Amino acid sequence: METETATIRVARYRPEKSEKPYFQEYKVPYRKDTVVLDALNQVKAEQDGTLAYRWSCRMGVCGSCGANVNGVPKLTCATFLHEFKGKSLTIEPLANFPVIKDLVVNIDDFMEKLLKVKPWIIRDKQSPPEEGEYKQSGKELDRYAQFSSCINCLLCYAACPIYGLNEDFLGPAATALAYRYIADSRDQGKKARFPIVHDLEGVWECTLIGECSVVCPKGVDPMLAIQKTKILGAMEAPKTMLSPEALKAILPRGGE
Amino acid sequence: MSTKKTHYPEIPRKNLGPGWWLANRHYTVYMIRELTSFFVTAFSLIYIYQVYRLASNPGTYSQYLDTVRNPAMISFSIVALGFTLFHSVTWFYLIGKIQPIKIGRKKTSPLLALGINTVFLVIISFAVLQLFIVGK
Repeated sequence: METETATIRVARYRPEKSEKPYFQEYKVPYRKDTVVLDALNQVKAEQDGTLAYRWSCRMGVCGSCGANVNGVPKLTCATFLHEFKGKSLTIEPLANFPVIKDLVVNIDDFMEKLLKVKPWIIRDKQSPPEEGEYKQSGKELDRYAQFSSCINCLLCYAACPIYGLNEDFLGPAATALAYRYIADSRDQGKKARFPIVHDLEGVWECTLIGECSVVCPKGVDPMLAIQKTKILGAMEAPKTMLSPEALKAILPRGGE
Repeated sequence: MSTKKTHYPEIPRKNLGPGWWLANRHYTVYMIRELTSFFVTAFSLIYIYQVYRLASNPGTYSQYLDTVRNPAMISFSIVALGFTLFHSVTWFYLIGKIQPIKIGRKKTSPLLALGINTVFLVIISFAVLQLFIVGK
């Protein structure tokens, strides 16, 4: 296979050396099957051991190698260098997150949000293991299957201007995962999750820009999950408003 | 081995600036879609006001005709029509994205929802126009 040379421009931030972030250029050899992550590995192994970035599986499963490539959030393991032939190639840390070092971002905010939506099956009462598994039909599985493909790579957060403008927004992946469980026929956790997804910073912040679904490398459609959650919430609202608890709170109390 | 840890400062998260919607074509199309609602609202309010005036004082009909024949009003109407069409088409497309139609196990493209809704728009618009012409 023919080998060519590309120049990549990488965002650097080395707080132990300099307070200010800067760009550094590297010349890397590439072939038709070289991905951006290979180029970063080549730099790290042979040119500059100080370069910091996250990666693990190299095959679009672990979700740790996300970066902004020419301003677009992408998995660096799934972005080929030859696609940028004749163009400049700039690699920056994922947008909308604090930067710890070079391409490594701080994802604590997302991890907290992920925990908040309780991404596991909630049952009112656990049935004993002897009773066997909770059964589910293919049709029921179809309702949430795509949302379970989320790998928490956070490209959707880097692409979402709403999250860019408001850090408190629950965001695409956390909602997609919340919906993955809300739509699961075995789950009974609606009561626990609805106050979180329908919070002021929840799904109603989303204004349908849809870039989260465009950049998702796993074919998950977080925008769809958010809108489906809105529909469920809207259908639930009259029931909640007419519940004895809600009425008790607003109706005048006789004799008091 | 020393256990002392040094914590270096992080680059804080950058909040998006006012020009964020120019950074990417999808963002720009989104912003145009949102802005079109201004023209949809403005045209509707003007129209409702005109109908209200005509209903309360039919003598103002010639005045009404003068207003709608005014070049400024014609230009505004053309611009409003263009934006309203853009608004409708983008929302029709989004309906298909949000409520995808399933045929068997396969989801149809949002373009189908766009097509069906556009056909309905044309039929309803035609029916309304007919009603006006017949009613005259």
